[in-house]
Amino acid sequence: MATMDRNAYSLLLAEITSGLWLTLKYMFKQPVTVNYPYEKGPLSPRFRGEHALRRYANGEERCIACKLCEAVCPALAITIEAEPRDDGSRRTTRYDIDMTKCIYCGFCQEACPVDAIVEGPNFEFAAETREELFYNKEKLLSNGDRWEAEIANNIALDAPYR
Amino acid sequence: MPKLTINGIAVEVPNGATVLQACQLAGVEVPHFCFHERLAIAGNCRMCLVEQEKAPKPIAACAMPAADNMVILTESERARKARKGVMEFLLINHPLDCPICDQGGECDLQDQAMAYGFDRGRYLENKRAVKDKDFGPLVETSMNRCIHCTRCVRFIGDVAGVADLGGIGRGENMEIDTFVGKALESELSGNIIDLCPVGALTSKPYAFAARPWELRKTESVDVLDAVGSNIRIDSRGPAVLRILPRLHEDVNEEWISDKTRFAVDGLAKRRLDKPYLRRAGKLVEASWQDAFNLIATRLNGVAGSKIAAIAGDLADAEAMMALKDLMAALGSSNIDCRQDGAALDPSNRAGYLFNTTIAGIEQADACVLIGTNPRVEAAIMNARLRKRWLQGGFRVAAFGPKLDLTFPVTSLGAGPEGFADRAREFLKDAKNPMIVVGQGALRRKDGAAILAAARDLADGVGAVREGWNGFNVLHLAAARVGGLDLGFVPGSGGRDVAGILAGAEKGEIDFVYLLGADEIDMNHLGRAFVVYQGSHGDAGAARADVVLPGAAYTEKDATYVNTEGRVQLARRAVFPPGEAREDWSILRALSGVVGKILPYDSLAALRAQMAKTYPTFLGVDHVPQAAWGPFGKSGALDPAPFVYPVADFYRTDMISRASPTMAECAAVKSASSQPKTGTHG
Amino acid sequence: MADFLRNFGLPTVILVAEILAIIVPLLLAVAYLTFAERKVLAAAQLRKGPNVVGPFGLFQPLADGLKLLMKETVIPTGANRGVFIAAPILTFVLSLIAWAVIPFDDGMVIANINVGILYLFAISSLGVYGIIMAGWSSNSKYAFLGALRAAAQMVSYEVSMGFVMVSVLLCVGSLNLSAIVEAQRTVWFALPLLPMFIVFFISTLAETNRSPFDLVEGESELVAGFFVEYSSMTFALFYLGEYANMILMSAMTTVLFLGGWLAPFGWMPFTGALGHVWSMFWFFAKIAFVLFCFLWVRATMPRFRYDQLMRLGWKVFLPLSLFWLVATAGFLVTFGLLPGQG
Repeated sequence: MATMDRNAYSLLLAEITSGLWLTLKYMFKQPVTVNYPYEKGPLSPRFRGEHALRRYANGEERCIACKLCEAVCPALAITIEAEPRDDGSRRTTRYDIDMTKCIYCGFCQEACPVDAIVEGPNFEFAAETREELFYNKEKLLSNGDRWEAEIANNIALDAPYR
Repeated sequence: MPKLTINGIAVEVPNGATVLQACQLAGVEVPHFCFHERLAIAGNCRMCLVEQEKAPKPIAACAMPAADNMVILTESERARKARKGVMEFLLINHPLDCPICDQGGECDLQDQAMAYGFDRGRYLENKRAVKDKDFGPLVETSMNRCIHCTRCVRFIGDVAGVADLGGIGRGENMEIDTFVGKALESELSGNIIDLCPVGALTSKPYAFAARPWELRKTESVDVLDAVGSNIRIDSRGPAVLRILPRLHEDVNEEWISDKTRFAVDGLAKRRLDKPYLRRAGKLVEASWQDAFNLIATRLNGVAGSKIAAIAGDLADAEAMMALKDLMAALGSSNIDCRQDGAALDPSNRAGYLFNTTIAGIEQADACVLIGTNPRVEAAIMNARLRKRWLQGGFRVAAFGPKLDLTFPVTSLGAGPEGFADRAREFLKDAKNPMIVVGQGALRRKDGAAILAAARDLADGVGAVREGWNGFNVLHLAAARVGGLDLGFVPGSGGRDVAGILAGAEKGEIDFVYLLGADEIDMNHLGRAFVVYQGSHGDAGAARADVVLPGAAYTEKDATYVNTEGRVQLARRAVFPPGEAREDWSILRALSGVVGKILPYDSLAALRAQMAKTYPTFLGVDHVPQAAWGPFGKSGALDPAPFVYPVADFYRTDMISRASPTMAECAAVKSASSQPKTGTHG
Repeated sequence: MADFLRNFGLPTVILVAEILAIIVPLLLAVAYLTFAERKVLAAAQLRKGPNVVGPFGLFQPLADGLKLLMKETVIPTGANRGVFIAAPILTFVLSLIAWAVIPFDDGMVIANINVGILYLFAISSLGVYGIIMAGWSSNSKYAFLGALRAAAQMVSYEVSMGFVMVSVLLCVGSLNLSAIVEAQRTVWFALPLLPMFIVFFISTLAETNRSPFDLVEGESELVAGFFVEYSSMTFALFYLGEYANMILMSAMTTVLFLGGWLAPFGWMPFTGALGHVWSMFWFFAKIAFVLFCFLWVRATMPRFRYDQLMRLGWKVFLPLSLFWLVATAGFLVTFGLLPGQG
């Protein structure tokens, strides 16, 4: 009986039919495609994109050269050199991130005691040469200036969970 | 010998030990800030509170003498609670600015707050704000961080011996300050940076330069004076960033002088990183091959008697050995390592060593200093003399101009007038007398006579006997004892430094090889062809016809012998800059070009040869008693006053002269030593 | 001269016009078949498909064609140049000339020959030469393996396809395609010969090297099969040929089983010119449906393994079609329904 069942099943192309039926059903579902450059998917406030160095509202850079991010970076992508600024405060003279080494783990922003280095929401920073991805302090600060509104909003949204 | 129980472990401790030391003997860690085993007990941080059975309150372990049958609990609920409370109190006014604090990562408060602290603050009031103090160019202050342990006050007062620091005010209002806001005037002031358990006192030149976890640590020895302090070189990448003391009970305990600690920035300045040749009166860059070829050309056909070599104050034993062998191969016996012309007698080892040893100072009961100012010549040695003086029953006298050694010194005269009688009188009752002959005495024309007189004195007062040798020579240069041990002195018929200079001026010497020798008068070199091998562009390089870039002491594995005759190894922390090379290898390469190949191809082979020829180099970090024998040359003493050889503590050699920090210190020092006018302040 | 023109010139012109009238829309259809394929696959995979070039991406095929046209034709050094270039041309031409016998409506056919079905069968069998030539002349192991597979596959499935056709012919009694269509006025052969219809459809998939029988191209193992070495327009000709073949096979399926131009249930509301349009509409609609089935199957099935392919062809389809042929013949003879018998 089982043999007959099986043969009937295969002779009537039941599996093929059910497969075809499934694909047919899918053809009338809403596509999930996002029309990327024109529309974008939603981002979590915790999204870890391009790095930025933030400033305080009065324009003073936040980074105090504590080097915790450099120490915690598992990819050794961060290089910092520091010395006293003219007013005696501790500042970096060099803050480099090799974005080609970076693995975007977010440890740097976890480690930062002053929320200076953050991974912002920007993920569209492809470049044509490697050199363009060796970010220096100037580039990171300008990123911070450009993305400050979004970054501040993200930090505020995530604050209740920290 | 009290016996007590600590956390159930029974221990027996020496008389006079504290509960804290008893705990350490039992292997129980008790957190503490103010206690330091080389400083007086203060008992004011309260972090070491432990529970003693039957005591109504927790006791401060550092200040409580251990007594019989004490039962101490360090991990009881009460002790734990007490510690936690103390830590919370300490943190009430501590700014918690660890991210910008240079102590971050090597901070006692940070570590102990992690281990014993509470993880949040309950204190909402404003923190105390304290104005930062100016301690001079070496020590940066951040007084908000101070927890009033007073380690710095006790160190500066007791060990360094200058009454410059103190606490002002009481309780929360207490502040550590120098008296009337002046800079610290101690050669040991840098040690308070290490002592400070928090980040209140940090190194000014090293400010914000690096984090402790970035540094590569190399254990080495210091060469900027003849003490041979044990140091740890902290480097990052190609740069030496700081130098810290390393514990060696027989040499420097755990202190180092400011020059040792802060002259590191001189290692990056004025460096010779390429060979240079003099062309038309100017030094121009060249390749090693060109430099060697030129030297070989100039040496070609020059008689051995017309060739000379002088070793400088920072030369390592291996380089001197190689240079000596090269000179011997070239047929020259005109070699000398005593570039200051001191009348040191190489024939008897006891005649040029600090025989008492530094640790031996603590057994001495009287000391005569002859033409030496140990405070600037060997600051660590002076700290040991002061330590001995603090223990009581120690008298010090000096021949020479008036001295401030941080402890009382009896002056026996500015010059050697009446030397034998006055010294004998002073030492006559001493059981363990010490006689220290300085370079200020030996450099004089009558140096050999003074050396002989001092030897006679030592014999006369019984300073030399089985188990005690009170005759000492205090050297200034780290290379000197090594050079004398190696016999880097004129051979038979050879010229000494004065002879070489005179010969060069007269044209009898055609070729002079300077191994880091900068302290000779270059004007006397005449028309001789001068090769300078060294690390810094100083006087020697300015005169040289060929400059060969060598390595500084942090850049080579090398052997140095300190003034006690202690053989110690310096280790390479970083590579020499540019094309500079280790000194012995330069000489080995040169020997190939001039056709007198030296018989060693590696440092190990060179050291094996050295130890075979000069067995004193076998015992590293070991001071054998040198055999007593005749040395010096009796003669008339010139009654002129002694001149101390070191006028400026901060600038004695090519490295410290290149250091901006040392220059700043010297400037501050000379400004403060100017007599104040009536309108001042 | 006038006679000449009337007797030969005018028919030639008319013939050329008729050919153009078929070929131009056909090529356009091929172009948009590629577009439709991408859209259908995208829909089945919840994607959008090409939508950037032109409205809804409608100009995408043109852009693709333009791109291929602009590219350089690379001929491998080791290739046999003549054969290498001839192969895609042959494939393309064969896929076009078969259309001469396809009837779009009653009488609307270029060559209404009485052996139309044989002609079609012959032409589609020739298609394998283009592939063999391409594979051999490329002088590449991938291309060669792909071509061997293609040849074996096409030959295998032609056997059962032949039997299926014969069973249809038994029911019609003519090899003329228009006659076959006319024979389906009562009922489309898809219903009485349903198993044969299915066997035929699956065989056309194999014959056109479509998924799940596209192991000729077999990207994962043969890179691109027999046309690995082709680029630019030579590649485009293969591509066009393949898709034109798909349309041809759909047309054959329509003619043999789906009643050609006949509207369902003989529903014929128009006469005259409008009637022609109506009939052709149904013809094209049926072709479109079959083509959709091609794409639908591709969206559903994974690729067969080679031995599975052979097993299916020789051990399932061949006995099945042979049995059904005998059954059909027996049925027709038994009930006296054989055309020309009564």
